Amino acid sequence: MFEHDFLALFPEIFLINATIILLIYGVVFSTSKKYDYPPLVRNVGWLGLLSVLITILLVAVGSPLAVANLVYNNLIIDNFTYFCQIFLLLSTASTMVMCLDYFKQESLNAFESIVLILLSTCSMLFMISAYDLIAMYLAIELQSLCFYVIAASKRDSEFSTEAGLKYFILGAFSSGILLFGCSMIYGFTGVTNFEELAKIFTGYEITLFGAQSSGIFMGILFIAVGFLFKITAVPFHMWAPDVYEGSPTIVTAFFSIAPKISILANMLRVFIYSFYDPTWQQLFFFCSIASMILGALAAMAQNKVKRLLAYSSIGHVGYLLIGFSCGTIEGIQSLLIGIFIYVLMTVNVFAIVLALRQNRFKYIADLGALAKTNPILAITLSITMFSYAGIPPLAGFCSKFYLFFAALGCGAYLLALIGVVTSVISCFYYIRFVKIMYFDTPKTWVLYKPMDREKSLLLAITVFFITFFFLYPSPLFLVTHQMALCLCL
Amino acid sequence: MDLVKYLTFSMILFLLGIWGIFLNRKNILIMLMSIELMLLAVNLNFLVFSVYLDDMMGQLFALFVLTVAAAESAIGLAILVITFRIRGTIAVEFINCMKG
Repeated sequence: MFEHDFLALFPEIFLINATIILLIYGVVFSTSKKYDYPPLVRNVGWLGLLSVLITILLVAVGSPLAVANLVYNNLIIDNFTYFCQIFLLLSTASTMVMCLDYFKQESLNAFESIVLILLSTCSMLFMISAYDLIAMYLAIELQSLCFYVIAASKRDSEFSTEAGLKYFILGAFSSGILLFGCSMIYGFTGVTNFEELAKIFTGYEITLFGAQSSGIFMGILFIAVGFLFKITAVPFHMWAPDVYEGSPTIVTAFFSIAPKISILANMLRVFIYSFYDPTWQQLFFFCSIASMILGALAAMAQNKVKRLLAYSSIGHVGYLLIGFSCGTIEGIQSLLIGIFIYVLMTVNVFAIVLALRQNRFKYIADLGALAKTNPILAITLSITMFSYAGIPPLAGFCSKFYLFFAALGCGAYLLALIGVVTSVISCFYYIRFVKIMYFDTPKTWVLYKPMDREKSLLLAITVFFITFFFLYPSPLFLVTHQMALCLCL
Repeated sequence: MDLVKYLTFSMILFLLGIWGIFLNRKNILIMLMSIELMLLAVNLNFLVFSVYLDDMMGQLFALFVLTVAAAESAIGLAILVITFRIRGTIAVEFINCMKG
């Protein structure tokens, strides 16, 4: 039976091998005296990008294996994991495209961070296809361990090390809580496999004060809290702004793009497929409302760009949790569409932030009169900001529209109402970007260096998708519908 | 075998770990130890359940958790060392470069 497993896991195996080979290559050549200690960042970056692209091809080729349970039911491959993995790899590839130029500008010669990004991508692939509590925990843990290190990767910066430390303590804490939930679930059901859990939980009423299910209730509660920590939903968000601000910008971009996809995919698998029950719905309902409100209000007071983007991502997690707390197939579908569009917009914004590196683009006010010095970039940024705010013809509007529609469809009027109100409030700080770029005259004029070609290509592609998404959204609908069907049937 | 007593013991250990993280205002090393304590309490939980259910899966899980905990504390100590090298202190109250 194992040869099929190896065949189906070939993309992951390839990516792990490529990562290890890149690590050995970097270690051997960057310390060799014969070649005069070459800086290998750009080289390793291109090779890493190449291996991610090859992995995408390998995953895409594997489509005939429609549904397969691998390695004694520890992993699963179906339509959901197939599209999620491709999407995750694409977003990682775009992050790596962004970082090619970054290391040169920062004169930060650390090829290790690229190796770590690749390694955490591997773990996220496993996370998406995890089908057992053990596999899930190990994948989450491998991902977090890589993240702690890349958050602290700028070793001589106070901010970066502090971000790493904070991330480590709160991340390890949340893993402990998640693990405690796993142990409760295991103890009160006796199984760890998602499929068996799903069979046990069908028609099983989970209440806090039920005769024998309070342990299960506690397990589900703890697992949910662990996951909400990881996706920075509101009562558990306090680490996010600090970590996002402190870590190097490229790492911030990676943190706010890739793990959102993998963790939400894993959460969907756990909560929609295995523990489908109205009890946890209330928890997500509350977290969704709180994240939307805090994301809208707290971001107004910020004047640092990365911190503002962190709060905006918290707000967007709130919007995505709307789809989660609906629990209907439309909710899941709109959640998946929402992730897709959120990732597109975030890639775009971070590519712009990284493109304006020259004078350490840190505060929002540094954007002053960008419309005069760099008009095309200003238009791009304003389109993305309008899309973030949800102005009609752009992609961000579509994602919010479907999410609110799903909320209305399942009777959660409060969610839809608060969503609309907070998205109106959040317009304020998104559109402030546009106002600063077009109407403010700065005291000191800042001229930015032209960006490199890779980033401009990335910007062009994402802006194209954001602008013209509304014309032809049906392929995305088809794909997300298939993914949602995989989870619900 | 009285499951409740064993579970109470491991639950107390787990809560001590959580309190150690939240109430500790002095030293980050103590936080690291509390995290370890949490993971070990969960391990105990797994072992108790494994014996109670007569199932191997819990012991397997506990072994994996032990490995992960070791890796985690290694990384935590490494991050602590670089922080100490830059700041010269590992007191919790001085970890506040970023506020907002």
